[in-house]
Amino acid sequence: MPRKAKSSARKSAAAPKAAAPIDIDAACKLAATLLSAARLPVIAGMGADVAGARAAIRLARATHGVYDHLASAEIMAELEPLRRARRFATTPDEARVRADCLLFVGAGLVQRWPEIGARLAVGAPPALQRGRARKIVWLGGDRADVKGLGAEVDALAAARRDMGPLIGMIRARAMGRPIKAEKSALRRIDSLAETFKAAHFGVAISSAAALDPLALEQLAGLVEDLNATTRFSSLLLGPRANGAGVTQAGAWVAGFPPRTGFCSGEAEHDPWRFDARRLIESGEADAALWIDAYGDEPPPWTRKVPLVTLTCGDFGGGLVHVRAGRPGVDHDCVEMAIETGVLTPRAASAPSAAPRVDAIIERIMAHLPGSCA
Amino acid sequence: MIVRISGGHVVDPLSGRNETGDVWIEDGKIVAPPQGQSADAEYDARNCLVMAGAIDIHSHIAGANVATARLMLPEAHAAYMARPAQTQLAAAGWTAEETGRRYARMGFTTVVEPAVSPHLALHAHLELSDIPIIDKAVLAVLGNDDYLLSALRKGEGATAVADYVALTLQATRALGVKCINAGGAMAFKENVRAFSLDDVVPQYGLTSRQIMEALQDAAVKLKLAHPLHLHMNNLGLPGNVETAIATIDAARGLPLHLAHLQFYAYGKEGGRAFSSAAAQLAEKVNASPHVTVDIGQVMFSDTVTISLDVLRQFTGLKTARPRKGFIYDGDINSAGVVPYSYKRSDFFNAVQWACGLELFLLIDDPWRVFFTTDHPNGAPFTVYPEIFALLTSRDRRAEWLASLPKGVAETTTLGSIRREYTFEELAIMTRAAPAKLLGMRDRGSLAAGATADVAVYGLHKDRAKMFAAARYLFKDGALVVRNGEIVHAPYGRTFRATPGFDRAIERRLDRYYTSLYGLKRDLFSVPDFALPRPQAFGEVPCLA
Ligand SMILES: [Zn+2]
Repeated sequence: MPRKAKSSARKSAAAPKAAAPIDIDAACKLAATLLSAARLPVIAGMGADVAGARAAIRLARATHGVYDHLASAEIMAELEPLRRARRFATTPDEARVRADCLLFVGAGLVQRWPEIGARLAVGAPPALQRGRARKIVWLGGDRADVKGLGAEVDALAAARRDMGPLIGMIRARAMGRPIKAEKSALRRIDSLAETFKAAHFGVAISSAAALDPLALEQLAGLVEDLNATTRFSSLLLGPRANGAGVTQAGAWVAGFPPRTGFCSGEAEHDPWRFDARRLIESGEADAALWIDAYGDEPPPWTRKVPLVTLTCGDFGGGLVHVRAGRPGVDHDCVEMAIETGVLTPRAASAPSAAPRVDAIIERIMAHLPGSCA
Repeated sequence: MIVRISGGHVVDPLSGRNETGDVWIEDGKIVAPPQGQSADAEYDARNCLVMAGAIDIHSHIAGANVATARLMLPEAHAAYMARPAQTQLAAAGWTAEETGRRYARMGFTTVVEPAVSPHLALHAHLELSDIPIIDKAVLAVLGNDDYLLSALRKGEGATAVADYVALTLQATRALGVKCINAGGAMAFKENVRAFSLDDVVPQYGLTSRQIMEALQDAAVKLKLAHPLHLHMNNLGLPGNVETAIATIDAARGLPLHLAHLQFYAYGKEGGRAFSSAAAQLAEKVNASPHVTVDIGQVMFSDTVTISLDVLRQFTGLKTARPRKGFIYDGDINSAGVVPYSYKRSDFFNAVQWACGLELFLLIDDPWRVFFTTDHPNGAPFTVYPEIFALLTSRDRRAEWLASLPKGVAETTTLGSIRREYTFEELAIMTRAAPAKLLGMRDRGSLAAGATADVAVYGLHKDRAKMFAAARYLFKDGALVVRNGEIVHAPYGRTFRATPGFDRAIERRLDRYYTSLYGLKRDLFSVPDFALPRPQAFGEVPCLA
């Protein structure tokens, strides 16, 4: 149900005085007023399905604003190896049926994807590698995750900050370069390098949340180097709240991932300049629409701006809140599914009348000045 | 609403018109001049060329790999890095919306995205549905998938393969089937680094030739209007003309379309062991009436190569310009995205440029040669007007040839070719023939009853200027371009073929997905609810 937020949001001329619930059309009208009156509005959060992302980008364009995603830091970290160097990628299906070596890298992977062990059939040999067993290695994993994976794991503990150097050392040894290390550490690193080189088709599994950007680049480099003599690829689990799906929609609707602005009317991408949090904290942006239909995550900024929120919970920190349906639960959707690694149709598991993000945004757009509606 | 386009030079090979006259439109269709009725709107086409809307049979305009290319190369566009004011990829638009608008500006009304991997079909259709103005179609790619290869290994018959192909077309909403380096991507997963027509896919014991034959037979059996669309082995390698000639023979006289033939027209003569073998290949095509080809013309530009030929793309990482790239081992097909810059000063690139033009000019029958750059692999589609100019002017070609590195002219026959394409031949190659090749019988013509996709170009002696911006373009009878500007941007349709098949294959494939992948097959489908305009599909009939 759309309702006015209960919190003590900054008083604005446009805000209704009563705290009573307002109907969705009034909420959309108010949102349109706030966004169109702004010098630079941001459409942030963007936790939405593909239809919601398309609509959000169009709204950003129509208001000469900016779009950004709540997990953009991870999106940028995943894109970095692609933009600077070479990246090898594969799918959960291929990891399941073909990988005779699964290399898990980092902590938090099971939290991100609780079904990961079952989905990749870690306990079974790879179905399309006749006669070959499966070797599983985990670098820097949570102890409980490693133990609970359901398969025999060769685990090497490492703190998050040590992951980059560790992967770098394995990479050096895999390419036959010397490293400085104690004898026992060197033996361990050499044996890992040999394991990876001996794989017929290895898959490194990680995420931008599990590793720092530099470690993620090292991992991309290790995977690339291994392809000099064998086959190795990687599977990144992707940012939360459909970050990968929103990125794909950005690529065809605007040509760019999140952190893109339409200040000049044309799309411009700049990961620093169009960071929603920075824009609001610095005062450059003066209104925001915050979207998280997958959850109820609050915006990451502390400065008060005229704010409209659109989440699947009761978040109240802005002038107006509309409760949106959850993609794949309340309504059918398309999203980047973690179990397929591709844009995937998902039928509603508990269909309800809760409005879709794209439908809400369309109503907001209908109230923008100059709209024919 | 009756529209009259009056007094233009009408060129319509299908109805035999090549004359000054009128074209009439009513309710989205071309009609005969109405008796005793006047037009509600009239467009002056004096000093203009009037043809059907153009059709591009092979252009990578949508889907996951196109997205990867965009995400990989933000510097090609208005973004955060230092960049030239206007890059060639920026000129191609680089969004779904601009793709449609820029094609329309050049008088194109139908474009085929030729490389959709079945599990990425939804992605492609989502993007296609956001491309305005033009009509679209996709080809589904098979030939590196475990299901097919296992069926062939087990010796399952032609009917089983045809059922699988038909179901794939249904699931992916495709117009036809394509095969890319048959078996090559599967072999690459087994660490094979070179793969030719008679090489064997490890674990399956099948050659590329056998896989290609099976898919070619399936297309024939299903009576698909569009024959198997083949991306051959050994793309880009010196001496690969041998592969192309062997593949044409392997077609056994059955219909076969060879994609971007230019990339297979290479000999290994000369000091650099790289030469044009286009004349030899054109002769082979001329003698093989069962074969159609598109060219994949190279033009000098900074571009990006997008291909499911992962083996080739992996090799291409070494020569990437700039040095980056993406290699994808996918479920049913693999892929690679590698940026590349074709330089006029580069001997190899210059030979490639010449090879493409030689093929265009030495293949006699304009009904069997199609106009493509394999966008963006040979060059972005926005360079088409310049290629039209080169095809219609030997003087222009001579100027270009003179600007190329030493030794290039000697390795090709281009300088000796006097042929210049006529408007009629252009109309066949870019309108009438593609409509026939795709089975889209409603278009490619200005005969009464045809879909009213009509392009009007102001005559100009500089053909590049003339074809860069249509004076008028009508899509389904509605004016969408005037003086090179978009005036209306409706959404077109996506065309698919729906051959019949034995539904038992559905249950079989359902079981295959659950047992191998542990997933339901419909996670990879393209349901109506997933598309913003689900009703926007049209059908291409199968052959009688
Ligand atoms: Zn192609």
